[in-house]
Amino acid sequence: MNKGKIVSIHSFRGGTGKSNTTANLAAQVALAGKRVGVVDTDIQSPGIHVLFGLDERKMGKTMNDFLHDKATIREIGLPIHENVGGAVGLSKLKDTHIWLFPSSISGRDISQILKEGVDFNKLNVGLQTTISEFDLDYLFIDTHPGLNEETLLSIATSDVLIIILRPDNQDLQGTSVTVDIARSLDVPNLFLMINKALPKYDPVQLKKEIELQFNAPVAGVLPLSFDMADNASSDLFSLRYPDHEWSKGLRGVAEAILALDNK
Amino acid sequence: MTDDVDIIPQLKKIAIFSGLSDDVLVTIAQRATKRKLAPGDVLMKKGDPGDSLFLIHEGWVKITTVDSKGEELILNKWGAGAAIGEMSLLDGGMRSASAVALEDTEVLELSREAFEEIVKSPVVSLAIIKDSTRRLRFATTYIERAIDLAQKIAAGDYSFLEQSQALINDNDDSKAAQMLSAFFTMVRKVKEREDGLKQQLEKLTFEIDQTRRKKEFEEITGTEFYANLKEQAKALREKRAQE
Repeated sequence: MNKGKIVSIHSFRGGTGKSNTTANLAAQVALAGKRVGVVDTDIQSPGIHVLFGLDERKMGKTMNDFLHDKATIREIGLPIHENVGGAVGLSKLKDTHIWLFPSSISGRDISQILKEGVDFNKLNVGLQTTISEFDLDYLFIDTHPGLNEETLLSIATSDVLIIILRPDNQDLQGTSVTVDIARSLDVPNLFLMINKALPKYDPVQLKKEIELQFNAPVAGVLPLSFDMADNASSDLFSLRYPDHEWSKGLRGVAEAILALDNK
Repeated sequence: MTDDVDIIPQLKKIAIFSGLSDDVLVTIAQRATKRKLAPGDVLMKKGDPGDSLFLIHEGWVKITTVDSKGEELILNKWGAGAAIGEMSLLDGGMRSASAVALEDTEVLELSREAFEEIVKSPVVSLAIIKDSTRRLRFATTYIERAIDLAQKIAAGDYSFLEQSQALINDNDDSKAAQMLSAFFTMVRKVKEREDGLKQQLEKLTFEIDQTRRKKEFEEITGTEFYANLKEQAKALREKRAQE
């Protein structure tokens, strides 16, 4: 039996900072000494591979090829720790163990998914193989925004679901449906993460009221940060600016994930 | 014209005269004329050319203007020892407000002509320049204080409001202190509005449409795909729990 946990990161709408959060969370968990994999299924640009400093031209085969038996998982995994480059933040991953498993990159791959589909057992076996082949402690999945079939599959197979939302009405409305779906699919561990919180909100009060609203724990309230927008997607923010409020909040979420091992 | 000796200490209280020697003040007092006012008498009218200074010797006057509806607005009340229109002697500006006697009042009027006669002495001019400069510098420190606070407001820091009383010195120049006091009132109101808005926003955040939530949930879970998925997921969870 695999000990590795599948952690899906989801947000109902785009623009919540989901890919950025996934990459930073995976990096923080890797820094804590865990063996980590990241599956990139949100193909919207900028892809998560850019955050890890990887060139998409280097990515030959993808998770889709693996799921359709056209490649082995060993051919897919890209060792990030061996390709950290010169970026200040990323280079801190040099002594960790973290792999990226790219998903569909091209339009052809996407249409293939739609045509052939991926069923639940196939996806589940594929993810479990990934975990066992690379001896992973955590496999992070950066899901599509919204609740399409592929995202529902990811949620259904997850041990941990992290829903990212901004404190506004539209995100709350969408999150309410995702929370209901997660409960319907018996996801064992559900966390909310509030991102891009405006300074006018009191984080403690915000956390309390959202927890009350959804009856689910809020693992972090992370501030809206123009510093982060400036950083664009060239490096991992929480590694580059560890003392920033956003980075502190993110480490709190990583700690919540790590704490599940001691449950 | 007056020769009362007790006028001298009163003249000294007038800012632009505060640096002058007793000899000069006696000359000024001699050149001043006494005016008696009955209640309701107008001492000066808003918009008139400011060509003299008044020192209240006895009684009370109100300083008034009219509001946007044309009604009288009392800005202030002054009693014995107060000087009105001192700046006009220097810059010849128009009266910014009217002054009306509230009771039987006696004032000392110093005309611009008389004043200009006095300042022909370089010693007197220099004393007046020095005093004006001192007051200008004083006003500047108030402005600097206001700039500093304005920057704090821009950063959303209102903590200085708690100590606003300590920042206004009662002995300070009245106009500058009034300005800072008005500034604090303004900031308090801005903060109140901001707090109100914040509460409103926070409240807005928690309006989940439960009917829509239920409808969207049912749309997703009502498919055959979902029913299969739920069953498979359940089996998977049970299997994982056993292992």
